[in-house]
This record gives sequence, C-alpha cells and structure tokens, in this order.
Amino acid sequence: MNTTANHIGINEIYEIRSLKENDLTLKLAEMGCVPGTEIVKLYTAPGGDPIAFRIDSYILGLRKSEAENIFVKLSELE
Amino acid sequence: MKRIALIGNPNCGKSTLFNRLTGLSQKTSNLPGTTVESTTGQVKLKSGTVELIDLPGIYSLFAQAEDERLVVSTLLGIEGPKPDAIVFIIDGSNIRRNLLLVSQVAELRIPSSCILTMADTAKRRSIDIDIKALENELGIPVAVVNPRSDKNTQSAILSLENQTIGKIISHNENFEPRLRSFYEGNKERGLSEETLKRYTDIEKIVKKVVISSQTRNRNNTIKIDKYVTHPIFGVVIFFLVMMALFQGVFTLASGPMDLIETAFGCVKMQIDEFLPNGMWADFVRDGILSGISGVIVFVPQIFILFFLIGILEDSGYMVRASFITDRIMRKIGLNGRSIIPLVGGFACAIPSIMATRTIKNKRERLITMLVVPLMSCSARLPVYFLLISLAIPASSFWGPFHAQTFVMTSAYFAGIILALIFAMIYKIIGNDKEKSEFILELPTYQSPRIQTVISQAWIKCRTFLSEAGKVIIVISMILWALSSFGPKEAMKNAHLKAVEMTKINKVDSAQIHNTQKLEASYAGHLGKFIEPAIKPLGYDWKTGIALISSFAAREVFVGTMSTLFQTPEDDDQVKGIRTKMQAEINPDTGKPLYGVPYAISLIFFYAFALQCISTMAVIKKETGSWTWPVALFFIYGGIAYIGAFAAFRILSHYF
Repeated sequence: MNTTANHIGINEIYEIRSLKENDLTLKLAEMGCVPGTEIVKLYTAPGGDPIAFRIDSYILGLRKSEAENIFVKLSELE
Repeated sequence: MKRIALIGNPNCGKSTLFNRLTGLSQKTSNLPGTTVESTTGQVKLKSGTVELIDLPGIYSLFAQAEDERLVVSTLLGIEGPKPDAIVFIIDGSNIRRNLLLVSQVAELRIPSSCILTMADTAKRRSIDIDIKALENELGIPVAVVNPRSDKNTQSAILSLENQTIGKIISHNENFEPRLRSFYEGNKERGLSEETLKRYTDIEKIVKKVVISSQTRNRNNTIKIDKYVTHPIFGVVIFFLVMMALFQGVFTLASGPMDLIETAFGCVKMQIDEFLPNGMWADFVRDGILSGISGVIVFVPQIFILFFLIGILEDSGYMVRASFITDRIMRKIGLNGRSIIPLVGGFACAIPSIMATRTIKNKRERLITMLVVPLMSCSARLPVYFLLISLAIPASSFWGPFHAQTFVMTSAYFAGIILALIFAMIYKIIGNDKEKSEFILELPTYQSPRIQTVISQAWIKCRTFLSEAGKVIIVISMILWALSSFGPKEAMKNAHLKAVEMTKINKVDSAQIHNTQKLEASYAGHLGKFIEPAIKPLGYDWKTGIALISSFAAREVFVGTMSTLFQTPEDDDQVKGIRTKMQAEINPDTGKPLYGVPYAISLIFFYAFALQCISTMAVIKKETGSWTWPVALFFIYGGIAYIGAFAAFRILSHYF
C-alpha cells in the first residue's frame, strides 16, 4: 500500500516513507514531514483542496499538489 | 543594555510571553531606510535592565518570506548589531519540529536559554518532558512556563538572566557562511538532506527527554474544524464572521469617532478665543489642527477592525479562513494567506500592505499589495455617507432593496470585484518562475489573549499614525495655504463681493467671506482649472477642489465641501451640507446638480482611485521603486474616471 498523501482516506493512519525531490522538499522536511512520521488526513477545504493532515502531533494544511510530494505507507505502528 | 532575542516557531506562545514580560514598555522601531520593523521592550532583572526583541515566528532559518528573513538578518547581524543572547520558546506539545530551529540556531554559537511553553496542554495530551534531561541534551538552562497563566513569569525571568552557549545538536560544516549565502539569495544544495539528518539527531534527544506520549489529542480542534471547513457550513460561517466584523466596526467605532470630533471642535473654539484673529490663528486651526484631527479620527475604526481581526487570528480562525479560501485565491493569482491583508484593507491599506510580508511567493505578494488599495478603507466611509445621504432619501427603495444600504454595499463590492479582476489580469501578465506555495500550520483553537490582541492592534494604529499621519498633516498645511492665498486682485474682489453680499442678505458674514475667499484662492483656481476634465463625470469646480484636497486623506472631501457650502462646523455637518447642496441646479440640464448620478459617479470614483499618497509611499517602500505606485495611480485613476463617467451618463437617463 504505497501511495502519496493526497490519495489516502480520512482518518486512516499512514506513515511517511519519503519525499519527492524538488523545490518543496526542504520546506516539507522543515515542517516535520520526515520519513517515519505518522500522517493522517483529517479534513479538506470546500472543494477538496487544500487538505489538512495531522503530522506527528500538529495539523498541517497542504494543497493537493503539495501533498503529492509525500510518499506514504500504511502505518505498522498501531 | 543587553539585547535578548526571542526565537521560536509560530503559534508557540512567544508573543504572549513577550507581552507579559515587557508590559507597556514596548515599541516598534523601523530599521533605517527600510520598512523592516521589530518590536522591542524592556524588562528589569536583578542584574539590570535588558532589551527584549520579539521576532516573527519561524520554522527554519532557511526562510524565504520577508517577515521570516528578518529573523535571519537579526541573528546574523546583517541589519544592526547581533543580539547578545537568545531565548528559545519551545512548544512542549510539538517538540520535534521546535527543536529543528533550536538545532540550527545552536550552530550560530550565541549564548541561549530555553523556555518550554504550554506544559499544561502537553500534559493533557499525556506528554511528559524530563526538564533536567532536556537541559543536559541542549546544554542550556530550560524553564517551564505556561504563558496563559500569570504564575510562572518568575521562571521566565530567570531564563532571561542566564544564558550559556549550548551544545551542537547536529553538526553541519560551515553552517553560518552557508546560511549567509542562502540569505543573499544563492541556492544551497543538500539542505533537505541536512534537515533529515537534524531530525534523526533530534529523535535521539526526544527519546531521552519525552517520558511518555500516548494519545495525541486535538479532538476539540478537529471537531470544530469539521464545521469550519465544511463545504456548506464553512462558507456560511466565513460570510457570517465577515459580516459580524463589519457590523462590529460600524457599531463600535461611531461613538469614539464622535467624541474625537467634538473634542477637536472644542480645541478649535479655544483657539478662536485665545489667539488673535488672523492668518496664524487660521493656520493653526485649519492647517495644523484639521490635519491632526483628520488623522486621529480614524484611529478608533482602524483599532477596532484590527482588534477584531486580531481576535480571529489569535483564536485560530483566520488561518482556517486562509485554508478555505486558498482554492479561489489561487485561481486569481493570490494565496490563502492574502485574506488577512485584504480584510485589513477595509480598515487601512498601509499596515495591510506591510502584512503581506508573510506571503513567500513574490508575485502573489505583489499582487496582494496591488489590490489591497481597492478595498474600501475607513477614509472612504465618511465620503460614501455624505454622498449617499445627499442624493438618496433614507426611505427610498429600489425594487426590493433599501436604496441607501444598496449603494453602500455596492461601493464595497465594486472595490472587491475590481480587485478580483485586477488580480487576474496581473496574474496573466506577470510571468511566474517561482512556485506558489501554501503549506500552513493550523494551530489548536484557543481563547484569544486580549492583551496580545490589543497590543498588536495598537501597533497597526501606530503604523498608520507614523506612515499616514505625517503625510496627511503636511498636505493639510499645503492645502490650507492653497485655499488661503490667491492672486491679489481676485482675493480683493472676493472680499468686496462678500461685503456686498453680507449687506444684502444680512447673514453670517464669516461664512460668506470664507466661501468667496476659497473660490478666489489658488485652490479655487485649481478647481476651475480641472473643471473641464471632470465635467463629463458630472462634477463642478467645487467638487474639483474637494477632489484635490482628498489627496491628503479621502475624508477631507467632507470638510472641504462643508467650507464650500458655508456650513458651520459645529452644526450637524452632513445635514448642513446636504441641505445646501440639494438646492443647487445644473445650468446645463436644469436638474439638481448634486443628484443621484452625481453621487454615485463620485462614489465609484472614490472606490477605485488611488488617492492616498501615504499608501503610494508604502507600496514604494515595499516594492523598492516608484514604478508600481505611479502605475497604480494612473491605472486605478483611469478606471475610476471611466467608471464614474459611465455611471453618470447611464444614471442621468433615469434620474
């Protein structure tokens, strides 16, 4: 079950696997989107974009196009 | 004096702590030659008084937004001296991301200490942090503070006393030179790898200092957000909040504004009594005092709007407003973050243009700055009021709409719609190499901290006073000179004519003198000079004078009209002007000169035209050249002219 963060379902617990290498990588990493971190999609803005995620212990709003840069896998931590 | 900088992530409670520690000693200072502003305040310690510097919250030193770059330039000593020490503010409930910044700043080798905030919320979330272990790992003193309760300010003050140079958490070669080079705009490779490595090193610390962290409970915030971001409720809530905002400003501001006007009226009467009648009394009263009162009268409105916006920001709602509007904003070349400056534009464009510094993408920031002046600011409101009450009876309805409310709302929406159209045009014209970015933290909801909100609203007012105040007062003095002096012959004739008229009509001679004098003055000549240009819009030379005087501040229009129509100032000004204006007949059409077409044409003109010199000066400062302000002056002026012309021509058929 490897996919990008924009495709995951609401309230499903995923884990960040890696980041796509581009202009956004640094900013996403700085915001705590680093491999091994738990990521959960919480809700979206009207129209489905941007999306709010729980990253570690805080809420981060990302555009769909930004969430595409985050590769995730289903969490095994549970 | 020792200078200590507060460094921390956004939403970590830094500003609240700063307010609590410095109290009333705060001041904002502009660095010479820039609009870069930092807030400082003094704290008395046992070892002497220190200066505390509050800097914008940042996540990383590799910052790109203008407000974030201020932090980097301060820490590197690029603009002014480096701070002598640093106090980190760390949000205990989000320790990993907060430590990233600490690990970067630690490499600058500045003596530091650390304040851990929100310990009580962290506990509620079952996160327990071993303070001694954290001190050990960072190599700096750590204090625990709950910024929302007064009890622990003592421990915060302790951490202001003692700083040490901390341990390097994650070592990276040549950190400072690389940061400097990044600040100067050079691309740095390998920064994301470096960040990942930092997080790996931070994880080792977290394992040692976080005793327990079980559930991450942000349930209430998420529950509220389900409504606030809902496709239907979310939009309804957004509009209700905006309506409440404006309703609040209108209801709350009118009292203090009346009070200020009455107070200045009293001062003017005192001057009349104590100063010998003549040019100098005139100058003090009409040149200087009118300017000052014209500035101060806006403070309540600006303060109240920024206070209410501050409450929405501090509680966490404004970020949600950015979140839900981003999709639409993006389509027209703006960003969700543009919503805050745009709403602020309804109070005053000047601090709002400065507030665009949080937008990272240069083009999105520029577009936001360019359209903010199209929001109907508080200075336009008195003009709208006068014109609407002049031309439209309070009881009249157009179809189902209450006519006065309809025109007022249309004036606001006309500005908004033009802003949207222009944003789109700018988006199409400009070429954008930089990627647009949203990436925005949605902080936990909290009850707004009134003290913080008040002090921030006051900072905005001070920005208005210092940026616009000076300009308005100077222009007000120039206008006084223009309207007091004129060609000798004309002034003499005006005087004679006034004397004659007084004899015939046996009315208040001072008023007649003033009106005759104004007509004969340089301002009057200027008004007549531009009359041919504004005649197609339905304006006469009197309106011309008022238009020119609006360059000080738009609301000066009301004052000028009142002089032109000989209404005593202490009377109900608007009512007085209205009665006189309604009696005037247009010699060309035989209809009332100041009817509905005139009023609406002028409202459109004021809604669109960039008449505020202070706003132009701020755009110049922020963009670095006069190109944009001058271009906007002509573009918006042109649109205003065409719009006003069309409105006048079309409406003349119906009224």
